[in-house]
Amino acid sequence: MSGPEAAGNVPLIHRRYVFGLLLRLCVNFAGGVGILFVILYFALSRPLPGDFAGVFHALRNLSPFLRPILAVSVLIYALLACGSTSALCVCILHKVAGPLYRMERILDQYRSGAPTRTLSFRSGDQIQPLAQAFNLWIGTLRRDRQRWLATMKDAERHCLQDEATCRAEMDEALRKVAEDMARYH
Amino acid sequence: MKNPALHPRRTGIRYVSPRFQGSAALAFAVIIATGGAIFWYLVDSAFQRVFPHAAIRGHYAFDSAYDIVRDLLAWHLAGLFVGVFLTGSVLVLLLVAATRHGIGKAVDSLRASADGNLSTPSGAGPIGEFERFGKTIDAARSDTLASVLKIRSEAAALAAGGISPEEYRLRWDELKHRIRRIAP
Repeated sequence: MSGPEAAGNVPLIHRRYVFGLLLRLCVNFAGGVGILFVILYFALSRPLPGDFAGVFHALRNLSPFLRPILAVSVLIYALLACGSTSALCVCILHKVAGPLYRMERILDQYRSGAPTRTLSFRSGDQIQPLAQAFNLWIGTLRRDRQRWLATMKDAERHCLQDEATCRAEMDEALRKVAEDMARYH
Repeated sequence: MKNPALHPRRTGIRYVSPRFQGSAALAFAVIIATGGAIFWYLVDSAFQRVFPHAAIRGHYAFDSAYDIVRDLLAWHLAGLFVGVFLTGSVLVLLLVAATRHGIGKAVDSLRASADGNLSTPSGAGPIGEFERFGKTIDAARSDTLASVLKIRSEAAALAAGGISPEEYRLRWDELKHRIRRIAP
């Protein structure tokens, strides 16, 4: 995708944003593993009975006893890690999802025929070239529209003269406008 | 003086796009759940082996069960972290690549639109959200093209002549009105 980045010198997704996301994920997963370690540490660090027979029986029966504890601790880890990662996804990815949502609203507005504002994203939002490309397109359309209207208005000025000149100028203006519009395909 | 209770501080809007943010969160959840399941299976089978083995060995030079499985647990926890983080990182990079590809195509199509090409589809990509977004852009471009082509054919028909002055004037005004409605 060198095109969009090279033309505006603004990358679609900044490297800093990607590194920030990876760093937060790293902290998030490390936190989850840390919590899992703490749970297992407390489950396993209970002192064994003092005498030989007691230790023997405790160790023999330990693995079936630990199975549900292990399952519950892994479940807690999974729930906490999934919850915090989901929150991270919503918070971090809104810098991409937000501009998309905003752009879609502007496009809906444009299609409904309502006056369209210039699109701008918040600072820190990603995919900035999208707003630039949209504004470039709308700007070009508006310039063309003004030129076509100016051509027609110019022809209307000749209507102060005789009818034949007026009609000839208007026909000429229409041909010009039609030719100009031919670039749209 | 303003009462802060009457003027609450505006918080930033967090847009939630279920197709984009939701699917990413779901993919991360699958990675975490898979990692957790593998960890549980490996550690549980290791515990089934290690504790009976320690019991029959007879030399109990430890105070707790943790002393027996300390290294084993540390390695498995490190493996869980590295495995989940690396897979999550690959997912992040895939998401970024898909975003760059999808939005890049949309940007390309908007730039082509500024040059007059309103008909080539944007082809915005493999992720559902970007595909839908590309279709929205294509629909806007297609509407614009239809409008321009209609005005163009009307202008050509008017310029061809054979219309009474009254009708000509009416259609001329209608044409101007239509042109004004382009990119209002």
